[in-house]
Amino acid sequence: MTRARIAALPASFALFTLTLASPATTEAQTPKSGGVLNMMLREDLAQGFAIHETATISTVWPAMPCFNNLVLFDPLKKTESVDTVVGELAEKWSWQDNFRNLVFFLRKGVKWHDGQPFTAKDVKFTFDMLREAADAPAKLRINPRKDWYANVEAIEAPDPSTVVFRLKKPQPSLLLMLASGYTPVYAAHVPPASYRTGCVGTGPFKLKEWRKGEFVELVRNPDYFVKGRPYLEGLKYFPIVERGTRQAALQAGKLDVSFPGETTKTAAEQLKAAVPQLVVTPYNQNVSDNIIMNVKKPPFDNPKVRLAVSHAIDRRALVRAVHQGGAVVGASLAPKPWGFWGLAEKDLLGLPGYATNPADEKARARQLMAEAGYSPEKPLRVEIVTRAIAVYVDMASFVINELKQIGIDASLKQIETAQWHAMATRGDYQIGANLTGIGPDDPDANFYENYACGSPRNYSQYCSEEVMKLIDAQSQELDPKRRLAMVYAIQRRLEADAARPILDWKLDYFTVWPHVKNLIPHQSIYNFGRMQDVWTDK
Amino acid sequence: MKTYLAQRLTIAVLTLLGMSMVIFALLRLAPGDIVDILFSTAGYVSPSEKQAIMKELGIDRPYWVQYLDWLRQIGTGDLGKSYRYDVPAWQIVRPLLPVTLELAALSMVFAVLFGVPTGVVSAVRQDSTLDYVLRVFSLAGLSMPAFWLGMVIILGLVTWFRWIPPLTYVSPMEDLKLHAVQFLLPALAVGYRSSALIMRITRSSLLEVLREDYIRTARAKGQSGRVVVWRHALKNAMLPVVTVIGIEFAFLIGGLVVTETVFNLPGVARFLVQAILWRDYPIVQNLVMFIAIVVILSNLLVDMLYGVLDPRVRYGG
Repeated sequence: MTRARIAALPASFALFTLTLASPATTEAQTPKSGGVLNMMLREDLAQGFAIHETATISTVWPAMPCFNNLVLFDPLKKTESVDTVVGELAEKWSWQDNFRNLVFFLRKGVKWHDGQPFTAKDVKFTFDMLREAADAPAKLRINPRKDWYANVEAIEAPDPSTVVFRLKKPQPSLLLMLASGYTPVYAAHVPPASYRTGCVGTGPFKLKEWRKGEFVELVRNPDYFVKGRPYLEGLKYFPIVERGTRQAALQAGKLDVSFPGETTKTAAEQLKAAVPQLVVTPYNQNVSDNIIMNVKKPPFDNPKVRLAVSHAIDRRALVRAVHQGGAVVGASLAPKPWGFWGLAEKDLLGLPGYATNPADEKARARQLMAEAGYSPEKPLRVEIVTRAIAVYVDMASFVINELKQIGIDASLKQIETAQWHAMATRGDYQIGANLTGIGPDDPDANFYENYACGSPRNYSQYCSEEVMKLIDAQSQELDPKRRLAMVYAIQRRLEADAARPILDWKLDYFTVWPHVKNLIPHQSIYNFGRMQDVWTDK
Repeated sequence: MKTYLAQRLTIAVLTLLGMSMVIFALLRLAPGDIVDILFSTAGYVSPSEKQAIMKELGIDRPYWVQYLDWLRQIGTGDLGKSYRYDVPAWQIVRPLLPVTLELAALSMVFAVLFGVPTGVVSAVRQDSTLDYVLRVFSLAGLSMPAFWLGMVIILGLVTWFRWIPPLTYVSPMEDLKLHAVQFLLPALAVGYRSSALIMRITRSSLLEVLREDYIRTARAKGQSGRVVVWRHALKNAMLPVVTVIGIEFAFLIGGLVVTETVFNLPGVARFLVQAILWRDYPIVQNLVMFIAIVVILSNLLVDMLYGVLDPRVRYGG
């Protein structure tokens, strides 16, 4: 691709966006009450409504309307940042003691769906359970986001409507993690295990029926603490395993909304061609394609080999060939305007694999391979593992072809879902083609989860004391501009170290019928499913 | 007859016991288990937490203990608890059974109602244009996978009528017409293949019978062609057809897996695939046993029908 064509990409993409989406018009109309929204699921609820025990959109999307957080990213705004955080169960909040204490002042008169009153005790119960406090009254069976709360020293509930999060060190990002769809407040009087089969929340919708494998039906919560909300009478989610059937159901108008993270650019174009009135909004899934290399095992314990791999993969060609343009290149955080923290295209140019001339990158990769002792006569033979799911396999196949061009003879090994995470966590592989989803678009959520020494999701087992200090420093930085600069520096360092080369950030082409209003995709698929303000003009 | 039936039932019980061992063993041989899947939805694995969940679900026990426990549960009518949904397996399986049974029965009815008459017409009009058309039609049915045909039906409906069948089960009490449409389309997709096979077998079997001496005698006695074909020839030609119907019914259950998925019908077959992916042993084991029972019973029924169709067949002691 020539420089001129590359330069034209953002412009053509913006044009596509304008052609497809017109969400701004939806906010100008007066909302109407009533109606039921029919939505698709790609599988039945993975763990019922137990959001805290999963890390999948298959649970978060249908379970979110049942719950509330303390705070949430404003459902009506696309951007997710400190400025767009709004109160839910917390009426207001305040940082105190130089960002060491986060105090929440809770709404009064809020009731759980079973009629019990909501109090600070519920908040303390939830977050003590999540951080696995020594005196926590309950324990989750699986706790995927324990690391988010590693900096919380204590949680206090001095009175029924005040909660204080005492932190070990300042951490402005904590508020963003609390605003994620992954952070609902559970009821203290209900066993956490019961959320796998039902849902007692405070949210705008109550569970009416979950017919396993057939549908999940939620109805309006008449006692919801926000007067006049929700607008909708109910929500119905249908698990439809077959992708073609899901698309046909949306096209036929049996469903009103696509599934977050489900619609590719090609699929969106097909839908628009069939039903021109559909509204398509491209947004960041907050899911990256990346390469995991086990730094503890040869040959990827050699930084030169890791760097060679990173140099070899032409990110832009991957975006074109595998995603048909439905993704953007970026480092370890999604770039603007899709995300807030990611390095811009111009800042990526000097990093391994991001140069605009792929031939130069391949030449550099071959040189590194030669320095590492490999040559066409003595090629490096590796097994590249990936999950046995089409989106993984497509990407892995592209990577294999790229690696062949620098003398790495890689064969593909597909791993079943049942074994994938166990294998990756154990480090029982050499190199893998991986996808990583991040809850909120936030450096702490990403860095501590995927790059911190000892984190179970740091599949590459990359561990740098220096980088850890940088991560801690950015986490504690109170000045937003300085923090952003620090986050940029960390991203450059991670790419330069080939810690987990990021190949692209996938976009979703969220598709809704025009009568669906106020359902606005955010910068992450995990945070906009509350449905409190959504209404239908059907 | 009674002795024969007793023998067959004994063999059926032994077959089911063998099946149970195979199902149990195959499931355990498949890589990963429910706990791995649970952790995969969380994106990490903790060995100690994994052990605790295995203990909670009882899958840390020796295999033979788990197997005997399952047999004991079947014996007491308890199907265990779904690992995935944390509710009794029977509670999940029960509403799925009528859906699959109805779809299977409808598919078979369609296959027989279409396959047998067209087979007869094709045989009687051997080598005519109609015969060729019907043979091509049946060949197409044999070549077309049910899931592909199902998807083509769905895409055709959405493209031309912007309509697809309901996404959830519609009970006949609720809306009989919609219920019929919901089942007829998938039954058509599944039954087409079976009807093609039945048509071809009927045709070849009838052609053979039509050349028999007693048919010539019947014709010589002045009986009409219709009576000769439908009363004398067809009954004798039905033996291989009935055998094929029995085999097809068993085969058809397998075909329902994809058809239920494509039409999003909440039946046993579609659910089974999901349960396998989740390694939900109690659900998979019991559903496969259910399918095995259906297959064994349909074979038994076919064997019983031989006696009705052919007086020479007698079931002695």
